[in-house]
Amino acid sequence: MQKLRYRPPRGHVLTRALLLALALLMLIPVAVTFLYSFSSPEEIKAFMQTRGSYDDAKWMAVKLSPQVFSLNQYYEILIRDNAVLRMFVNSAFYTVMILLGQAVVVPMMAYALSRFRFKGRDALFFAIIMLMLLPFQVTMVPNVLTLERLGIRNTVWAVILPMWFAPFYIFLIRQFMLGLPNELIEAGQVDGAGTIRCFFQIVLPVCRPVIGAAVALSFADCWNLVEQPMTYLNQRVDLQPLSVMFNQLVDSSSGIEFAGAALYILPALFIYLYFLKDILAGVQLTELK
Amino acid sequence: MFTGKKSVWLFLLPGLLGLMLFYIVPFFGGIYYSLTDGSFRNAFVGMDNYIAVWQNPMFLLGLKNTMQLSLVCAPLVWVLSFAIASLLNRLRPQGAFFRNSVLLPYLMPSSAMLLIWLVIFDYGGVVNRLLAALGLNRVIWLEGAALRVPVVLLFVWKNLGFAVIIFLSALQAIPQPLYEYARLEGAGFWRQTFGITLPMIVPTAFLVIILEWINAFKIFKEVYFIGGAYPDETVYTLQNYMNNMYGKLNYQNVTTAAYSFAVIVFALFGALFLMQRRLIRKLM
Repeated sequence: MQKLRYRPPRGHVLTRALLLALALLMLIPVAVTFLYSFSSPEEIKAFMQTRGSYDDAKWMAVKLSPQVFSLNQYYEILIRDNAVLRMFVNSAFYTVMILLGQAVVVPMMAYALSRFRFKGRDALFFAIIMLMLLPFQVTMVPNVLTLERLGIRNTVWAVILPMWFAPFYIFLIRQFMLGLPNELIEAGQVDGAGTIRCFFQIVLPVCRPVIGAAVALSFADCWNLVEQPMTYLNQRVDLQPLSVMFNQLVDSSSGIEFAGAALYILPALFIYLYFLKDILAGVQLTELK
Repeated sequence: MFTGKKSVWLFLLPGLLGLMLFYIVPFFGGIYYSLTDGSFRNAFVGMDNYIAVWQNPMFLLGLKNTMQLSLVCAPLVWVLSFAIASLLNRLRPQGAFFRNSVLLPYLMPSSAMLLIWLVIFDYGGVVNRLLAALGLNRVIWLEGAALRVPVVLLFVWKNLGFAVIIFLSALQAIPQPLYEYARLEGAGFWRQTFGITLPMIVPTAFLVIILEWINAFKIFKEVYFIGGAYPDETVYTLQNYMNNMYGKLNYQNVTTAAYSFAVIVFALFGALFLMQRRLIRKLM
């Protein structure tokens, strides 16, 4: 019998080269931000001041790493002046509160929409799909009307509460739950588990990957909030998350902005590393169409 | 499937209450709002608000820019992500490093990346150095019409990865025997692509373009990061208009503009949906 030999497909080298170039384009901005964060504030300040010159004879230096390794940027924002840190804490507060609320609301709703038959279910699901399609410019109007009525505009709740009912995550988890085999639930029922025990002891554990994916994706949204705080908190500068304030930070360059950016990327990096497998599995196992 | 269980309301209640309170009820309330004049009498004015908004040059500018930017961003991400997913699919089961690096930006806050963007696209920055090395003239990226380029690229950089993952999992779900059979029948690469791959991923391709378009419609962050709160008029988006009107407490105007946009969005997605249905019927 002839032995089957692995034959690499044509274009393998070219494919790898293309993908490597792409991977570098994706990674370099993140890597450079970290490298710059170890420059001294003076060095960054001088470097950033060479921006915006329209003199054709001048170039900005191509800078990859700090001239002298320094932790002074971090010292400045973590210990000396806590303005950046305070906005960072705002960001973290919104993110944690939004994720906690979503953890309560979203899986339960997805469970009801996927494993139950009840009157009006299809109409409700249709409404959720429609909401999902609407961009923020549209949904901000109903949000504001209610926030105004409740008198919680320009408070932290204005950013937090509407985000709890994010239609995309309801849709995502519902699609996953829809694909679960019926036998799984029936086995639970035979053992005498009701709808609530089925939810907590059978459905939720099986949904681990898609819930992990939803947490990661939702984190990415919350950590990059701009529109919501800008509109709902437009009279409260002190409540703005760091994501809204970065461009002010650059304009008033005091040389610490890269440590701020690196610090801001760090939690996102942890979330990415921790949930990477879940994101991949969640997308792969969910019938999204 | 549970039928006739009362406990369903327990699971539905929190979400349903919230959706009703923040989205559905005020959405319909807002329609009434957009038909009144907002004075203390709140007189009914019919379509006057809509006529006023559609004659407002800033609204039209914002709408035009938002449409143009989303018409560049969404298809760009769509095509690129399919190409990259196809490349990754050829390396299977290797290529995890490439796949993971492409996904990384999706989790990164683009707000923090703005610093690097400003450095790269500066008049004396790396992009212009490349252009100069190619013998071209430098471009002022951070002002005027060219501002759209860094804005679009920041959007693409961040959103590419998720679309790639979706495409890749669809490509991997195509049964391999289909290709083996096609090869036995003597079908080449292009024949396989058009005969097997494309028809099999039509639903996914539809999903990705919808998701990316939803994302691209709300494009504002990138503009705000790079162009500031009062950007050049070539990147003045609908959200800028809404923020301005909102800041001026002109709620009637905000509501009317939002609902006008909603009609456009629904019409577009409705048309896309019909197109997909016809395409699938043709291919099957």
